[in-house]
Amino acid sequence: MSAKTLATTGRTAGTGSRGGPRAAAPRPRPGLVRRPGRPHRRPCRRPDWLGGLGAAAWLVIVAVPLYYVLASSLREKSDYLDAGPLSVPHHVVLSNYRTVLDSGFADYLWNSVLVTAATVALVLALALPAAYAIVRSRSRFVTAGFSVMLMGLAIPAQATIVPVYLLITRLHAYDTLTAIVLPTAAFSLPMAILVLTSTMRDIPGELYEAMTVDGANATQVLRSLVLPLTRPGLVTVGIYTALGAWNGFIFPLVLTQSEAHRTVTLGLWNYQGQQGGIDVPATMAAVVLSLLPLLAAYLVGRRHLLSGLTAGFGK
Amino acid sequence: MNTALRRSDGRPGALWAVPALLYFALFAVVPMALVVVLSFCRWNGLGSPHWAGTANWTRLLHDPDLGQSLRLSLLLTVVNWAVQTLICLPLGVWCAGHQRARAVLSTLFFVPLLMSSAAVALLFAALLDPNFGLAHAIGPWLGVDDGNFIGDPHLALWTVTAVVTWQFVPFHTLLYQAAARQVPAQLYEAATIDGAGRWRQFLSVTLPQLRHTVVTSSVLMLVGSLTYFDIVLILTNGGPGTSTRILPLHMYLTGFSSFDMGYAGVLAVLLLVAGTTLSLLVVRVTGFRRMTSRREGL
Amino acid sequence: MNRALTLRFTTALATATALAATATACGSSGPGASGGGSGKVTVWALQDTALNPVQRKTVSTFNASSGDTKAAIQFFVNDPYKQKLQTALGSPNAPDVFLNWGGGNLTTYVKSGNVADLGTDLDASFKNEFLPSVMAGGTIDGKTYGVPMEGVQPVALFYNKDVFAKAGITQPPATWPDLLHDIDRMKARHITPIALAGSQAWTELMWLEYLLDRVGGPQVFVGIQAGKPGAWQDPAVTTALTMIRDLVDRGAFGTNYGSVGQDSGGADALLSKGRAGMELMGSWEYAGQLATAPDFVKKGKLGWTTFPTVPNGKGDAKNIVGNPCNFFSVTAKSKNRAAAVDFITKTVTEPSYVKNLIDIGQVPAIAGIEDQLKSGPNADYTTFVYGLVEHAPNFTQSWDQALAPATAQKLLTELQKVFNKQASPQQFVSAMDAE
Repeated sequence: MSAKTLATTGRTAGTGSRGGPRAAAPRPRPGLVRRPGRPHRRPCRRPDWLGGLGAAAWLVIVAVPLYYVLASSLREKSDYLDAGPLSVPHHVVLSNYRTVLDSGFADYLWNSVLVTAATVALVLALALPAAYAIVRSRSRFVTAGFSVMLMGLAIPAQATIVPVYLLITRLHAYDTLTAIVLPTAAFSLPMAILVLTSTMRDIPGELYEAMTVDGANATQVLRSLVLPLTRPGLVTVGIYTALGAWNGFIFPLVLTQSEAHRTVTLGLWNYQGQQGGIDVPATMAAVVLSLLPLLAAYLVGRRHLLSGLTAGFGK
Repeated sequence: MNTALRRSDGRPGALWAVPALLYFALFAVVPMALVVVLSFCRWNGLGSPHWAGTANWTRLLHDPDLGQSLRLSLLLTVVNWAVQTLICLPLGVWCAGHQRARAVLSTLFFVPLLMSSAAVALLFAALLDPNFGLAHAIGPWLGVDDGNFIGDPHLALWTVTAVVTWQFVPFHTLLYQAAARQVPAQLYEAATIDGAGRWRQFLSVTLPQLRHTVVTSSVLMLVGSLTYFDIVLILTNGGPGTSTRILPLHMYLTGFSSFDMGYAGVLAVLLLVAGTTLSLLVVRVTGFRRMTSRREGL
Repeated sequence: MNRALTLRFTTALATATALAATATACGSSGPGASGGGSGKVTVWALQDTALNPVQRKTVSTFNASSGDTKAAIQFFVNDPYKQKLQTALGSPNAPDVFLNWGGGNLTTYVKSGNVADLGTDLDASFKNEFLPSVMAGGTIDGKTYGVPMEGVQPVALFYNKDVFAKAGITQPPATWPDLLHDIDRMKARHITPIALAGSQAWTELMWLEYLLDRVGGPQVFVGIQAGKPGAWQDPAVTTALTMIRDLVDRGAFGTNYGSVGQDSGGADALLSKGRAGMELMGSWEYAGQLATAPDFVKKGKLGWTTFPTVPNGKGDAKNIVGNPCNFFSVTAKSKNRAAAVDFITKTVTEPSYVKNLIDIGQVPAIAGIEDQLKSGPNADYTTFVYGLVEHAPNFTQSWDQALAPATAQKLLTELQKVFNKQASPQQFVSAMDAE
C-alpha cells in the first residue's frame, strides 16, 4: 500500500466533526516532502511589527545568558572578575576546557550518553508492544493496566526515591549505571505509552481490517502497518525520554556513589560545594561541554523533531 | 501461549502488554506502596526503620513549613503556566512563519532546551551574582538597583520562575510552532476576505485552531511542575529562609539534609496524591483514555 | 495460556513482588554489595583539589610497604557525601575507614552503633601526638572514635589591608566598638564593610557562633547541644542576635549579601578585589585566596586577626569556633579492622604526610610542630592558626556539624531569616525552642 493511498484514506477518516478540517494522518516520511495540498500558513505581506518586536525581545533574553556562558568559559579567571560580564574576553583561552576535561568530565558525558541510550531503548522496547496491545487487543486486563499507568503520568519520581534505593540495593545494582536506567525508564513509561497509543489510534480502522482480511497476524500487522505509521510517535517518545534521562538528577545522586559512574548532572553539581570557592570560568566551560552532545544530536535530527514533537498530542 | 500471541483475528493478545505492566509495577507501583509504609516508620537512614504508628502524620499538622511549601508550589505552577503560555503561544505562532530569518531564530530559541537543569541552574547562579555577574547590570532596569535577586525573600520565587521559564519556553514554543503550521491556509484567506486584520485573524482563526495544543502544552507544564526541584536546589536551596522551599524540595531536604526519612515519607505521599490527582484531572480533561481516535475532536 | 489465566498469573506475580519488597522495607536497610575481609581497606574522604593529591600519594606509599593490606581511597563531594554515609553505614556497602567531622556529627554515628571504639587499638603515645583540644573532637564519653586526619579549621576574621589603609584604619578591630567604628568609616567611603555570602546560611552562622561565645561563654551552646529545655532562651542568645541585627541595619554587609554565594566565590572575590573590607571565614580562606587571587596574598594585602572581644562578655577572648578537624573513624562492622587501624596509624602522623599538609597551607593537628611551620611556606599565617588552636581554652565545633541534622537545618533556615530581616531575634528564639 503506497504512501499516497494511506494519505487519502487518512484524510477522509480524519476530518473531524468539530475540529474543522485537520491535517491528515501521520505521513510515513515526515519532513521530507510537503504533500500536495498540505495546508500551511501563507506568510502575510505586511511586516509583522508587533510579532517581530516580541521575538526580538525574547532573542535578547535567550542570547545574553548563552553569550555569557560562552564568553565566561573562554576567559582567564582574573579577567572574569575584573571585566564586565558582557565584555569580549581579553584573550581567548581554552585552558578552562582543559581543566574540565582533565577532571574526568569526558567520562561523565559518556556515562550520561550510555544511560540516555539505554533508557530510550528500554522504554521503546516496553512501550511499543504495550501500546499496540492497548489499542488493538480487546482484553479488559490491558485496559485496566493502562488506567493504572495513566495514574502515574504526573507522579514525581523523587517521591519514591527511598524505596527505589532499597529496591536497587536488593537487586545488587547499587552504584552501577543500570541502577539509574531502571527507575528512570519506569517513570518515563506512562508518557511513552500515552503518546504511542494516541498515535496508533489515529491509524484508521479500515487499514487494520484490510490487513487482517489478508490473514496477517498481530506481529505482521505491527511490522508492516503500525511501525511505519507510528514513527513520529516513536520520535516523540525518544526525544522525551532522552531529555528526561539526560536531565536526571535524583536517581544518579542517590543510586550511585563512585566517580566511575558519575553522570554529567552530578559532575556539574560537584563544581558547587568545593571548598575555597569555585572557578566560574571552568564551571561555564563544563556547562558548554554538557550541552554539546545534545546540540550535535539536535542538529542531526532537527528535521524529525518538528514533525515528531506534535505526534500523539493532538494537533 | 501460542494462542495468546497469535490470534486468528490479527489482534495482539494481552500478553503483549505484560512486560511493560510488570516493569512499571516493580519499579514504580511497588515503590509508591512502600512510600506509604515508610511514612509510618521512624528512620534516619542509619540502621533499621522502626514502626512509628501515625506519629509522622500528626506532625503534618504542626509543620510550620508545610503550608508555605504548598503555597509556593501552587504559586510556582500557576505563575509558570500563565507566563509560559503567554510567551510561547505568540512566539510559536510567529516562528511558524516561513521567512528565512524566523527559521534561523527558531533554531537559536531552542538551545536552552538542550541544557540540563543542573547546567541552567549553574549558569544562572553565576549570572545572578550581584557583584560579578550580570545581576547588577540588569538590576537597575528592573528596579533592583543592587542586583539582589535570589537573596531577597520577595523576589527569590519570581527569579526562580524566570529561570524555569527560560529553560522551558523553547520546548512549548516548538509545540505551538508545529501546531500553527498545521492551520489550513484557507481559513486565513477567508478571514482576509472578510476584512479581518492580523489581530482579528489571530483571535478568530489561530487561537481556536490551537486549542488542542494549549491543552497539551498545559498538561505537560502541570506534569512537569511537580518534578523540578533540582534547579531550585542548586540555585537557592529553598532559601532565603524558606522563600523558595517548594514541596518537592521540602521533601528532599527533610529526607536528605535532616535525615528524617519517615516524615519525608509523609511529604512524599502528599506528592503522590498531588501527582495522582493531577494525572486523573489530565486524563479526564483530555480524554486520553478514550479508545477512539482523538482527532475526532474533544 | 488463556486470558483469565494470564491475568491471574500476572496479579499473583505482582502481589508477590509487592509483598517481598514490603517485607524488607521496615526490616533491614541497605545494599547487599561487596563484603570485605579481603585485606582491602576502603577509605572514604572528601573531594578537595589541594588535599586529594597528597592523600593519594600517602595511600600509594602505604600500599607499597604494607604487604597484603591494600587501601583504596574514594572522594566525595560534601553534601552527597553525608547522604551516602548515612545510608551506607551499617550496611554491607559501608567503607572500612570514613571521614567525619567529629563532635556532634560523629556522635550520631556512634549512637547508632556504627563506629568502632579504637581505645584499645591505639596506644597512648600515638594519641598524644595530637593537640588535645582537637583530639577531644574524636573522643565521645571518654572513648576514642576518631583520629584527626588533616588540618585544623578555626574561623578567623580576614581583612584587606589596602581597604583599611584607604579608610584610615591602622589596626584591625580588637573590640566590638572598634569593629562598629571601622564599619562606619568604610561605609563613609562607599565600601562594603563586611563581605558575606548570605545565600549560604552557614557563613552567617559563624557570626552567631562567635558572638554567643563572646557574650555568654561556651556553656550556652553546650546547653543547646545537650538539648536542655529552654536552652535557646538564654538571654545571651537574644543579645548576640540583636548585635547581628544591628550589624545588618548599619549596612555592615551591604544590601545584596543575600544573593552572594560562597560556593561561587562571590564573597572571597569581594575581599580580594577591595570591594569589601573584612570577611569572617574558616581558615581555608587563605589557601582559597592563594589559589584564586595569588597576587593579593603574595603582596601581603590579606590580613587576619582574632574575633573581636565584647565588653562585659563572659567568654574568654581566646576561645575559638569552627571545625576542630576532620577525623578518620573505623566502621563497627568492618571486616578489616586491624588493617584499617594499621592504615590510620601509619598515615595521619607520618612525617612526609604532615610536611605535605603544611606545604599546601594546612595546619596539621599535631603537637609540637611550631618550628616546622616557621620554616615552611606561609609561615606567618600557619603559625597564627596553630597558635589560635593551641592556646584556645575552648574550641566550639561549628553548630551545623554539632547539632542533630534536623535541628541544624532548622537553625540555618531561621538564622537566614534574621539576617534578611524576615524574623526578629525573639521570633528566632521561639522557633528554635519549638524544635
